[in-house]
Amino acid sequence: MENMIQVVHLTKIYSGQVMAVRDVSFSVGEGETFGLLGPNGAGKTTIIMILTTLLKPTSGTARVAGIDVRENPYGVRLKLGYVSQDLAVDDNLTGWDNLYLQANFYHLPKNIIKKKCAEVLRLVGLEKRADDLVETYSGGMRKRLDLAAGLLHEPRALFLDEPTLGLDVQTRQQIWKYIEFLRSEKKMTVLLTTHYMEEAEKLCDRAAIIDRGEIKAIDAPDRLKEAIGGDLITISFSPGEEEKQEKALKAIEELPFVNGIESRQKNYVLLVKNSEKAIPSLFQVLNETGVKVENLNLKKPTLADVYLHFTGQELRDESWSKEQAIKSAAMRKRIRG
Amino acid sequence: MTWFADIYFVFWREMKRYFAHKTRIVTAVFQPLVWLVLLGSAMSGMVGGSMAKDLSEAENYLQFMTPGIMVMTALFSGMFSGNSLIWDRRIGFLNKMLAAPISRTTIPTGKVAAAAIQSMIQMVIIAAIATALGVRFTSGPLGLVLMVLIAGLFCCGISAISLSFAVFIKTPEGLHPILNFLSMPLLFTSNAIFPRAFMPGWLQGISAVNPMTYAVTPMRVLALEGWRWESVMPGLVFTLFFAAAACYLLSWVFGQHIR
Ligand SMILES: Nc1ncnc2c1ncn2[C@@H]1O[C@H](COP(=O)(O)OP(=O)(O)O)[C@@H](O)[C@H]1O
Ligand SMILES: [Mg+2]
Repeated sequence: MENMIQVVHLTKIYSGQVMAVRDVSFSVGEGETFGLLGPNGAGKTTIIMILTTLLKPTSGTARVAGIDVRENPYGVRLKLGYVSQDLAVDDNLTGWDNLYLQANFYHLPKNIIKKKCAEVLRLVGLEKRADDLVETYSGGMRKRLDLAAGLLHEPRALFLDEPTLGLDVQTRQQIWKYIEFLRSEKKMTVLLTTHYMEEAEKLCDRAAIIDRGEIKAIDAPDRLKEAIGGDLITISFSPGEEEKQEKALKAIEELPFVNGIESRQKNYVLLVKNSEKAIPSLFQVLNETGVKVENLNLKKPTLADVYLHFTGQELRDESWSKEQAIKSAAMRKRIRG
Repeated sequence: MTWFADIYFVFWREMKRYFAHKTRIVTAVFQPLVWLVLLGSAMSGMVGGSMAKDLSEAENYLQFMTPGIMVMTALFSGMFSGNSLIWDRRIGFLNKMLAAPISRTTIPTGKVAAAAIQSMIQMVIIAAIATALGVRFTSGPLGLVLMVLIAGLFCCGISAISLSFAVFIKTPEGLHPILNFLSMPLLFTSNAIFPRAFMPGWLQGISAVNPMTYAVTPMRVLALEGWRWESVMPGLVFTLFFAAAACYLLSWVFGQHIR
């Protein structure tokens, strides 16, 4: 399979000091939906802006449809569609005029412009509001219009930066539907960024976990989940009994099927192989130390757990307060002994 | 030829935005009209019709002021156009255009053209109202067309300067003080509102190097004296060069700093 997007040893340093992207390499095959998954500030937008020729890389190369973004940016622009994280629609134009403008910027032949605009409007369900000024649209409608504008010229590679950021559940699901349609019906190559796990899990053939400008893992979501090496058992102890708890944790750590142990807030999360079979021996250990367990929960790993595994951090909307961060680091240290 | 088509669509968008909010057009016309009517009447009373006639060959001060107010309209429209770039950058529309397969230079060019046409529309309205108030343009309707074109060229130059600032300055709060700082001195050291004969010597000196004066002078000749090409040409040519130089500066700055 031909690679539609190829990024090799890409680095971006802003104003000579902020290293936003650090030696990143990945490739996206033709027709593939690929996700960059990471928290705010991870460098996702920077990568997209380099691929869409809006930023020059500090070093490394990036190619779209085989064309180098630095050598022939105009050639790259002919191939791509770009929907930024900013809701870049013009409020002072109607929905139709926004699309008409985009169609002309991409030099669609005159005779098909009307047909294409009407087609994408229908796809995103905005045909009835097409002649209203966008300033009368809701946030979700704007996002759908922006997405429609990105699809209008049927680009070979579509870049979606946080396509469902801040949208309500219903709109988010609609947008997921359109993105799935692009893959199954239009065979478009899609590179999307997100900090929502479900999104990467639902839409992406493969996802890269990115943190502070570095890629920590790349694989199909299912394979990433396997890679963390087991299921997750979450235990919360009754308050008090610090000593007994420490003893219990030490004992648990020594069990052969426990691959790791971590504290998350007030809970302890065990990474466990063959969890169904392991639970009885776990109970036995807990009983022996006499510690009181308030809650115990077994689950299959999600991408959120994978994220935590590869970055040592929770993926969250907001960053933690400094206090929380220090506290959690101290906890982890205590447990690892 | 896609270059011209791309400019046209950048221009088309600006014009659509302009006409989407008619109240903005009304306010843009209203302000210069207030200047024309209030200042025009007050100055007529103050200096006396005969004196104004002596100094400026005008029937009354209103007739003298109309070309000046038209250029003032061009000044304000042009100055204002930098805002559109700042706004486009802020809402992400600039990036959307930059990611499209259109040449970089089409964006500032389309914006300058739109600012000029918008100011010309406002000037036509102002000229119509001035006519209703009794102002006569000695060179006739064709002369008025040339007046509007000269002021439109001046607007291109000012718009290009404003947009050049907007390439570097990312917020309206940052841009506005600079634009005010430029507009007021440009206006008051030109002959747009006061005849140069009224000015002290040092101000006449400044006025002589103010590009606004070069737009006002030929327009005033057309309005008050008629088709005296020998007096129209120097200002027309200067304004053409001013607009060309400012646009060249803009395309250079834009090419250098907006990737
Ligand atoms: N223009 C810029 N100048 C300096 N630093 C920047 C600029 N844009 C982004 N950054 C920094 O680069 C890092 C990555 O940002 P970004 O690519 O926007 O991340 P993401 O899209 O994953 O949230 C952040 O630390 C951000 O503060
Ligand atoms: Mg981002």
